[in-house]
Amino acid sequence: MRILFFAQLKDAAGCASAELAAPKPINGEQLWAELLRKFPALGAHRRTVRLAKNSEYVGQEATFTDGDEVALIPPVSGG
Amino acid sequence: MNMQIEIQLTQCPIRVDNARLPAGSSDSGALVEFTGVVRGEEKGESIAALEYEAYNAMAVRVMRQICESLATLHPCHAVVIVHRTGIIPVGDAAIYICAAAKHRATAFALVTGFMDRLKQDVPIWKRRALTSAQLQPRAK
Repeated sequence: MRILFFAQLKDAAGCASAELAAPKPINGEQLWAELLRKFPALGAHRRTVRLAKNSEYVGQEATFTDGDEVALIPPVSGG
Repeated sequence: MNMQIEIQLTQCPIRVDNARLPAGSSDSGALVEFTGVVRGEEKGESIAALEYEAYNAMAVRVMRQICESLATLHPCHAVVIVHRTGIIPVGDAAIYICAAAKHRATAFALVTGFMDRLKQDVPIWKRRALTSAQLQPRAK
């Protein structure tokens, strides 16, 4: 699955996007565990980040599979 | 009557004088416009510009969802929204919104409600502030 980083998360991850293999569906906890393993600096932001799957905000109950586009959305500041 | 919604993300300057007014507004007695402009100060420091970043596909989608949600409470005839991204100099518009409604209260309420929701949910960010020196082109 494709992971997108925005704003300060790009600095934390050191990149704008990454690929994560998920042969089986994973939940939010498992997703974060894998992200933090690869990008430990994201840990400082976890509490304020919302997850979006395929351009829709998702809650804690969401599952993620290969083919999904997952965005890590830090606090927004448009307008 | 469904509210007509037009949403645009652009990296070009927003020109309010030729921004298209909402279509289908012949029954509208009120057009309410709001322009959000980049101020010359950010977190107490003087700046020359702000750089905006967006998750484009989701930003447009969420803005539309916000409009559709607000239309149930504030049934305007039409709304046009333009949000600029990239480097925006101080004094330039970052966002323009125009709502057309039968009466002004409805249009004002939609515009205000939209801006409140934009700042909570739309994936657009003020990525960084730039000084005048940072805006200067590098000498070759």
